[in-house]
Amino acid sequence: MSELTTTSVLAELVKGAEKPNSFLNIRTEAETFLAENGIPSKKHEDWKYTNAKRLFDNGLEFTSATDCTFNSVDGVEIFWSEAEKLTGSTAIHTKEAHAALNTSVFEKVLVIRVKKGTQVSDELVLNQALELTGNYFAATRLLIELEDNASLKCQLYFTGSNASEKSLHNHVTEIFVGQNSQLEFNIVQEIAEGNLVNTTEVFCQRDANFTTNTFQLSGKLLRNNLNIRLQGENAETHLNGFYMLKGSELFDNHTLVDHLVPHCESNEVYRGILGGKSTGVFNGKVFVHPDAQKTNGYQQNNNILLTDDATMNSKPELEIYADDVRCSHGSTTGQLDEDAVFYLRARGLDEFGATALLLTAFAGEVLNSVSSEELRNILEQKIQAKLKEMRA
Amino acid sequence: MSLLSIKNLKARVEEKDILKGFNLEVNPGEVHAIMGPNGSGKSTLASVLAGNENYEVTDGEVTFDGKDLLDMDPEVRAREGLFLAFQYPVEIPGVSNVNFMKSAVAEVRKHRGLEPLEAKDFLKFMKEKQQLVELSGNLAGRSVNEGFSGGEKKRNEIFQMAMLEPKLAILDETDSGLDIDALRIVANGVNKLKSKDNAFVVITHYQRLLDYIVPDFVHVLYNGRIVRSGTKELALELEEKGYDWIKDEVAAEA
Ligand SMILES: Nc1ncnc2c1ncn2[C@@H]1O[C@H](COP(=O)(O)OP(=O)(O)OP(=O)(O)O)[C@@H](O)[C@H]1O
Ligand SMILES: [Mg+2]
Repeated sequence: MSELTTTSVLAELVKGAEKPNSFLNIRTEAETFLAENGIPSKKHEDWKYTNAKRLFDNGLEFTSATDCTFNSVDGVEIFWSEAEKLTGSTAIHTKEAHAALNTSVFEKVLVIRVKKGTQVSDELVLNQALELTGNYFAATRLLIELEDNASLKCQLYFTGSNASEKSLHNHVTEIFVGQNSQLEFNIVQEIAEGNLVNTTEVFCQRDANFTTNTFQLSGKLLRNNLNIRLQGENAETHLNGFYMLKGSELFDNHTLVDHLVPHCESNEVYRGILGGKSTGVFNGKVFVHPDAQKTNGYQQNNNILLTDDATMNSKPELEIYADDVRCSHGSTTGQLDEDAVFYLRARGLDEFGATALLLTAFAGEVLNSVSSEELRNILEQKIQAKLKEMRA
Repeated sequence: MSLLSIKNLKARVEEKDILKGFNLEVNPGEVHAIMGPNGSGKSTLASVLAGNENYEVTDGEVTFDGKDLLDMDPEVRAREGLFLAFQYPVEIPGVSNVNFMKSAVAEVRKHRGLEPLEAKDFLKFMKEKQQLVELSGNLAGRSVNEGFSGGEKKRNEIFQMAMLEPKLAILDETDSGLDIDALRIVANGVNKLKSKDNAFVVITHYQRLLDYIVPDFVHVLYNGRIVRSGTKELALELEEKGYDWIKDEVAAEA
């Protein structure tokens, strides 16, 4: 691929984006992938309900974004880098177009590292506060590495109260959970009218424990691609999500748990409440490779539709190529239980109070997997606030 | 003035007329028992009084403590002091009994112009009421009715009643399916809560409950109307003879 073609691929996608003079190898790989595949349209199976390409067709303009804020926490190394060698080592940029695009244009990666044997007690809080107005496009990138026997709890906020419906934020997080390490990674997405395509690629080593909880609260289009590769035996992952949609919001969660080796466990619960004319998408793939005997895989997706015009597209996909495994999945989409609402009202709660209590309980299964009480309270308040908006 | 006054109440569900001119007056301090064959409309009456919107009132008037009951939302009825112990209590996963009662008690107190109870006082209050119906702390901490046995659900209804201190409680077959110990517990709960200011309407199929909760009046509901009213002796007679003689008499009168 010549330099000229490469630049023009990018130029077509994002006006003003230039290839930065760093990470040259992975950028070249990413551009090759992009040149061959382009940005997927709705014709692509994985993007059937989620039209992110339309943002590119309308024209996007590149803007620099390296202003993720974070607190300082004992035991955590955190720094911006233009040379971090693990960057791109998950090779996600050779598999998914949006990750490839991110790879070809991101400026710096924020590296978070916990050294071998370090147990971090305070929570690391990161805030990607981007105010993408107009048709701005920004690419941000994180890398989290827990060396062996380390532990960390981390919150990542995507915020932007003025984000415009023509803008696009493209984010990639690469995560490496070392042997016998534990990472809890909580993600909160609240970007007003903005659009976000967020890719999280996770490698888990032997005896690692990776827990992630994703909360989607506002955005025109929010798409998460979460891929968890269980590479070492006895690794365990818990991936949960909760989404609340109103108006014409579209939130999409594509998850993949890749069981590559024996004796691993995955546990997935995604739950959502959909109002207005919103559209939800859940596609949860659990892939059990032939070698991954004794896998325990559990997946559940439950949705409550508050209006007739809301739509949920839920697709669990279990692909199992090993014979000695325990896997199960279930998907439900229904209305709020009217008998329960009446029962609560008959005890003095008004209709909104009853509804809110039931929906908060519905969210509970996901909320309860957040270990920080403080964050749980914040989320509960945000859920209540959104319920009020949805009532209006 | 009567606490509850029902005049010529007619109600339907899914195009089917169920209550066909129901009349009842309940005064403070009274216990009324309503008996009647399956499908006669007992639970329909309870649902209409509690404000279940699946039931359509087509005629009649109901005043509760002097106010138009049918005009109120279900929650307002509850706050005004009307309580229904459901024949089939609903299971609500994820909502703890404690939180549920905290919200409910706060709403009822607010309506009566009272501040919410302090956390400490609330727990004390709750413990008291739990003991009244011998509901174990374990059940009180669990999700509302989830995985409760039939008897536990009924006891939980009486516990909620005790928490909300209603002026009028309608117990819809709270005794059905209870063993004798549970029945005694439920009945004791009711008797302790009974005062000259409140009243109970007890819907039941079984005389045995009425040995414990002694009614001032017994009514027989048949085909959407009260066809006989009497004192507790009527319940004994029904226990002995069944409903057929009443059905025959009603047919003959028609
Ligand atoms: N939600 C409903 N939808 C349709 N029919 C109903 C509904 N509720 C009650 N009915 C019908 O109305 C009639 C009266 O029912 P109701 O439950 O009031 O009887 P009941 O006297 O309480 O009987 P039981 O002693 O069996 O509890 C029955 O024929 C019943 O099938
Ligand atoms: Mg009944």
